[in-house]
Amino acid sequence: MLSKWLKPATHNQQSRFAPKTLALLAIFAASYALPSHALNVFVCEPEWGALVRAHAPHANIYAATTSRQDPHYVQARPSLISQMRRADLAVCSGAELEIGWLPMLQARSNNAKVQDGQSGMFYASEYVAMLDTHDHVDRSMGDIHAHGNPHVQFAVKDMPRISTALTARLVDIDPDNARQYQANGIRFRGHWHRQITQWEEVAEPLQGLNVVGYHGTYRYLFDWLGIAQVGDLEPKPGLSPTNAHIHSLAQLGADAVDLIVYSSHQDSRPASWLQQRIDKPVLELPLTVEGDQSLTEMIDIVIGDLLKQTGKQTHLPVQ
Amino acid sequence: MKKSVISLFVCSALAAPAAFSSPISNPEIGVVLDGYYQSGERQLSEREEGFGLGHTEINMSANIDDKFRGSLTTVLESHGDHADLLIEEAFIETTSLPHGLNIKGGRFLSSFGSLNNQHLHEDAFAERPVAYRNYLGGHFYDDGVSASVVLPTDLYIRLGVEALSGQQMSAIDDPSTVGIYSATATFGGDISTASSWQLGFSYLRNDNGRVDSFGDHDHDHDHDHPHRFGHDHDHSHSASVTGKHLYGMDFVWKWAPNGNYKYQNLTVSAEWLRLNDATSRDYKFEHDYPGTLDAFYLSGVYRLSPSWSVGARYSEAEDFDVKMYGHYPYFKRETEREFDLMLAWNSSHFGTIRGQYTRAENQRHDREDNIFTLQYVMSFGAHGAHAF
Repeated sequence: MLSKWLKPATHNQQSRFAPKTLALLAIFAASYALPSHALNVFVCEPEWGALVRAHAPHANIYAATTSRQDPHYVQARPSLISQMRRADLAVCSGAELEIGWLPMLQARSNNAKVQDGQSGMFYASEYVAMLDTHDHVDRSMGDIHAHGNPHVQFAVKDMPRISTALTARLVDIDPDNARQYQANGIRFRGHWHRQITQWEEVAEPLQGLNVVGYHGTYRYLFDWLGIAQVGDLEPKPGLSPTNAHIHSLAQLGADAVDLIVYSSHQDSRPASWLQQRIDKPVLELPLTVEGDQSLTEMIDIVIGDLLKQTGKQTHLPVQ
Repeated sequence: MKKSVISLFVCSALAAPAAFSSPISNPEIGVVLDGYYQSGERQLSEREEGFGLGHTEINMSANIDDKFRGSLTTVLESHGDHADLLIEEAFIETTSLPHGLNIKGGRFLSSFGSLNNQHLHEDAFAERPVAYRNYLGGHFYDDGVSASVVLPTDLYIRLGVEALSGQQMSAIDDPSTVGIYSATATFGGDISTASSWQLGFSYLRNDNGRVDSFGDHDHDHDHDHPHRFGHDHDHSHSASVTGKHLYGMDFVWKWAPNGNYKYQNLTVSAEWLRLNDATSRDYKFEHDYPGTLDAFYLSGVYRLSPSWSVGARYSEAEDFDVKMYGHYPYFKRETEREFDLMLAWNSSHFGTIRGQYTRAENQRHDREDNIFTLQYVMSFGAHGAHAF
């Protein structure tokens, strides 16, 4: 490929500009010979962008959604297809979270690298000990996933396993930078393990907290911290809250609930309706990272907000 | 002993794919149920007056291996006491070609326009716009091959070509075997986090689309214009009027607050179609020679909440009628107009109940109709992702 381009150019300009041209070509060739281009990574949700950045800081990362968007309801829009077309690697939650749009992006992108089963398609949930898996799934149960709860960005304990798998995948796709990925992976996991110890210590007062949530977004986080989701503003996963259902939640009684929680991409009204009835604090938690936040910062914020809102602790130890 | 070894082998062979399967299951089988009651019948519609079943769809698709994907969509249609099983799509396509290339072969929905290659159950209205029903037979699928490329640019650019049999859009008795060639160019991008657009240009050359003579081949049907196939009562899927060249331009714009489509969103779409050379140039000195015919639609659908959406649509299609006076054809240019209002309730992501009012103006029969439709479209099994 390169020689094809070089030959006519050197031939044509041989007479006068040969040295200059050769120098330019040498620069061109050098840049061509370098790891050809920065890795293009498509992430379905911003949290995986933060994870990829921790492992491959030079990658071009494109996030398909923001913290304000429900990842179940995303349009397979043209801009996403064109980003998918250029991706060397796509990183998504999987477990059918993106089933309404990701298959369309894979099909329409005409990109062989990111098809299921190829090394360029990475599903984080494959490396998570899934909660709420079902042998039998029926849509009368709501929009539930047989493979389990897909909101694995808060599967804190499994993040090192995801990191290990992602490192291996990056090495596979871009072996020239293998050492960098491996070193970053080790650094990430070391840091994460230290964080887990710290988080568990800080969040201890949250154990036994009773929360009414909105969807199973924090299932993994609550499971890890010993928080119980005693009610859900959605009558069934994926169905909109109704007045009758809010009323039934109010029957739980004020003693049974410590806190009402919803997420940054959700309608805040159902939480306020319940608050009017049981007079418990309402807390908006982030769905994912904002801007350039790291995953560590995301967990810090969630734990910090929970502690602050429940009055369990007024300040966090300085990180 | 041997038997148990074999059964062990079989068991492990069956268990293995489950252990390694991706979280998106394979193969996918889905059924779409569609039923309705309506107070009248729209022109060129597949839906009759009264109670009826609409587009009952069974879809199966899966990766065949690491290089090909296959998809089969059958449609069951009932007309009175008999049912037709139609194969709407049965194609294979590549999944592993380099440089953003894709080759598809078999029967598939043509990529012409923006609405045509979407399945009917994805529509926001009970019927395709009258522009589509006249020029493309509602939804145009055919046997053939297609090739497309998506360019590696930030701006979405997709270029595609198709070669198709064209049997469904033929105006002559002895059509050529490859009757239709089409080309499409689609562009798209985001304006902001909240809104996105797509613009498409399509061209379709139909070698069998032009009517070269009138009167001679009045073979079996009782209608007086041999170029017409989808007359009022045979529920054909063919176009009502064909021509040598069909041009299309389509535009879709979608908006949702913060780009979060769950609670509220707005879709505005418009398409314009132009049909050239509907009849032979031998007739160009005749009164109202149908050299160029135009059709368009403009629609807006607003989702008020996860459960409710409303929409309005206006569509127009030019057509022509021909009467023979001896050997002299007399053309009469006509325009069909339809205005629709729609209100839909979603029981969940998989169930829709829709009410639709249509005001239809039919020039040929000099009629104005008011039609009410109450329809459900619901699906179970795998539910394929929808296109933009």
